[in-house]
Amino acid sequence: MKRNTFYLLVGIVALIEVGIFWLSVEAERPILIQVAFVLGVILLYAVRRTVEERMEDERTAMITQKAALRTLETFWVAFFAISLGSAVVAFSRPLGLRPPHLGPPGTAPPDMLELPFIGGFALFQMALLCLMIFLYVGFRVYYARKYGDWDTDEEQD
Amino acid sequence: MKNKIKVFRAMHDMTQEELADRIRVTRRTINSIERGKYNPSIEVAYNIAKTFGVAIEEIFCFEDDEDAEARR
Repeated sequence: MKRNTFYLLVGIVALIEVGIFWLSVEAERPILIQVAFVLGVILLYAVRRTVEERMEDERTAMITQKAALRTLETFWVAFFAISLGSAVVAFSRPLGLRPPHLGPPGTAPPDMLELPFIGGFALFQMALLCLMIFLYVGFRVYYARKYGDWDTDEEQD
Repeated sequence: MKNKIKVFRAMHDMTQEELADRIRVTRRTINSIERGKYNPSIEVAYNIAKTFGVAIEEIFCFEDDEDAEARR
């Protein structure tokens, strides 16, 4: 498979995943998008091995390593700071109790966390994940530029 | 590290793509090495030298930090 065909396939899989996400929300079945996402990633990893043109070598591996290390060094600070804030919020309330009950007086509080709360936590997690991805892409661009990825190339297509 | 890869490629009438294919790296890596942006591993340097049938030191020349600064 050609490299550009692979990138086209990545785009198609991403679009399909968006469609399955919508379907999953409509059907209220989270397992749909979870399974589809894992299968999509496995498919792309498998297809990447069939790309004829070499996409990785020691230089790209070094760029990946450096970008990943810098991302980790930066992200853990942001993640820990946010977690400390969350811990302060959690410890500011009586420990071991259910979340505040907002229902009318006299009614029993819910036995479990309500879905909107869990949904909010999921979105928060995704926001953190997006932050990590943005950091990684930024560092990767920086190191790729440092090690000559965007230099003028006499044989550029 | 200075190198004469471009010279040896010209002598052997070889493109970056062809050299990259022979030593199993990407063309961008050859370009980066030629421009002095990336110092290859011993293995890649050895493979480049072997491709051109010469010793490593005929292609690669270690450059002191002061020399590199002066060149920049």
